[in-house]
Amino acid sequence: MKLFTETLYDAFGQTFRIDKVYFENKTEHQHLMIFHNTVLGRVMVLDGVVQTTEKDEFIYHEMMAHVPLLAHGKARQVLIIGGGDGGMLREVLKHNAIEQATMVEIDAAVIEMAKQYLPNHSQGAFDDPRANIVIADGMDFVRETALRFDVIISDSTDPIGPGEILFSEDFYAHCRRILNQGGVLATQNGVAFFQLDEVTTTAKRLSQHFSDTAFYSAAIPTYFGGIMTFAWGCNDQAVRNVDVQTLQHRYTASGIHTRYYTPEIHKASFALPKYIIDAFDGKTA
Amino acid sequence: MYREKLLQQLELLREQLPGVTPYYAIKAFPNEDVLKILADAGACFDVASTGEIDMLQRLNISGRRTIHTHPIKKDSEIKAALRGGSTTFVVDNAEELHKLLPYRQRIGLLLRVSFRSKSARVDLSRKFGCAPEQVVEIIGEASTLGIPVRGLSFHVGSQSMAPDAHVSAIDHCAGLISEIEQHSGRPMNVLDIGGGFPVDYAGTGIDYASYFEPIRDILAESLPDHIEVIAEPGRFLVARAVTAIASVAGKARRGGYQWYYLDDGVYGSYSGQLFDHAVYPLQILNDSMPRESSILAGPTCDSIDVIAEDIALPELNEGDLVIGHMMGAYTYATATRFNSLSGAQIVVI
Repeated sequence: MKLFTETLYDAFGQTFRIDKVYFENKTEHQHLMIFHNTVLGRVMVLDGVVQTTEKDEFIYHEMMAHVPLLAHGKARQVLIIGGGDGGMLREVLKHNAIEQATMVEIDAAVIEMAKQYLPNHSQGAFDDPRANIVIADGMDFVRETALRFDVIISDSTDPIGPGEILFSEDFYAHCRRILNQGGVLATQNGVAFFQLDEVTTTAKRLSQHFSDTAFYSAAIPTYFGGIMTFAWGCNDQAVRNVDVQTLQHRYTASGIHTRYYTPEIHKASFALPKYIIDAFDGKTA
Repeated sequence: MYREKLLQQLELLREQLPGVTPYYAIKAFPNEDVLKILADAGACFDVASTGEIDMLQRLNISGRRTIHTHPIKKDSEIKAALRGGSTTFVVDNAEELHKLLPYRQRIGLLLRVSFRSKSARVDLSRKFGCAPEQVVEIIGEASTLGIPVRGLSFHVGSQSMAPDAHVSAIDHCAGLISEIEQHSGRPMNVLDIGGGFPVDYAGTGIDYASYFEPIRDILAESLPDHIEVIAEPGRFLVARAVTAIASVAGKARRGGYQWYYLDDGVYGSYSGQLFDHAVYPLQILNDSMPRESSILAGPTCDSIDVIAEDIALPELNEGDLVIGHMMGAYTYATATRFNSLSGAQIVVI
């Protein structure tokens, strides 16, 4: 029996049975593997860490896309940084009101690989006429683009590796610059219970550029260790404080179907456990 | 490279040090076939650089089977190690602790302690390792920073001909572990006894049963059951497994000696004669008489490139082979590209 054990932590880790390897590639920069697991479906692993599985990806993608989009309420232009598997693009384009979703992926090969081996993630989203696929470094793009956005979603890898720059203060500053008034930046921020330092660091950097900095959360089973946090940056606190009735109207009007997201979950996801609030405030455990 | 001899050495170590997990020190002979054979036989790996981690990744050997043993690392190397799945790091000073601070939630540490050895040919305790007196302080610092320390490691040096250095270091570490555990109230879980186990270059025979017995005894006597013991054999596993074959490229008579110029030398496979202070048993496939005092020189233009001075050899001709035995450890690993020579080709049998 072939097994894959995640190499994220020294003292513990989750193990998966590999039923069949679909794709494996070791480049100079990263080691990528896609395999089948009978419970989780296709599992994509990058540098020893689970990136996405067919079984639970909907929780991550719905929460990262619909929370900022429905809180904003009038988003037309969306920027996705990373997200090469196409799952985020799929969720964003579910909203009929979106005029254009620009997705900036550093590696064209990731998109091709995902189309071939993870087709259930994108479900044709790459062919949507509203999809604007740019192959570029995310940091270079936000630094140089003349486009402006209502929502920016940073669907990056971990801060150790090529995604590191997407957790920098410089990146947040440029995101703020290219956001329209009332625009929202949402970023994945790791599993807080085991990566609490990331909450402290992100809060510190984000608050330099956004008057309303917050975190919301969702538990994604294969991002092992409890709730994952998503960082939120906006210069209008009213966007985050939208009430649940408004969200319900927007949700219904948007016509989207979801399996995890509800307006109630949306509101509740901003309620955080005390240990995360303390880390946010810079108090270490 | 002989697969069978490599596996014999692994088996010998397992027999002599039962319960001790071997982490092959890749640096000794960084060769993918060796890694594959050892991985299939269940060994783990001691990595010290990003390049070594890359080799394991190419072979799909999980980083969970590694420890990163270089006490001094750049931030980029720490990141590369983590991305390669290597999460246990060796440190020997407080500066290095601070470099690991951003990664504290993912990693475990071994603190390298230095015990000077008189019986090792290569002393590894001068360049790396903290003094035993510093251990409690550095561990206290790690604890303050919130970086988990798994245990201690030491290296008595390379080609350590008597077991005394290991025995005394293990005894010393056992005392330190017990002191640290009492002080912190938390158990440690690893003692890394390094490498340094000798191989027989001189051909005089090494009685491994007697060599390892006191090490086995002190491990059993001094360490509590919950401490996993690991070792980092490099030379011990590969030295015997590799034979180097050079051929005579030309000859000349100079200063009363017969000179033979080979296609491999101290800038190539015989680099260990300089860097590792090794002298390898040589063999000529020709036992004819008479013999005369000869010099074996390497192929480069440098006069230092001499493998053997004043050895009695039969007359050799172009194409005759010169065989170097026990040439696995720190030979090919430290060979240079001087004179743009292509270096030895490795064949696995």
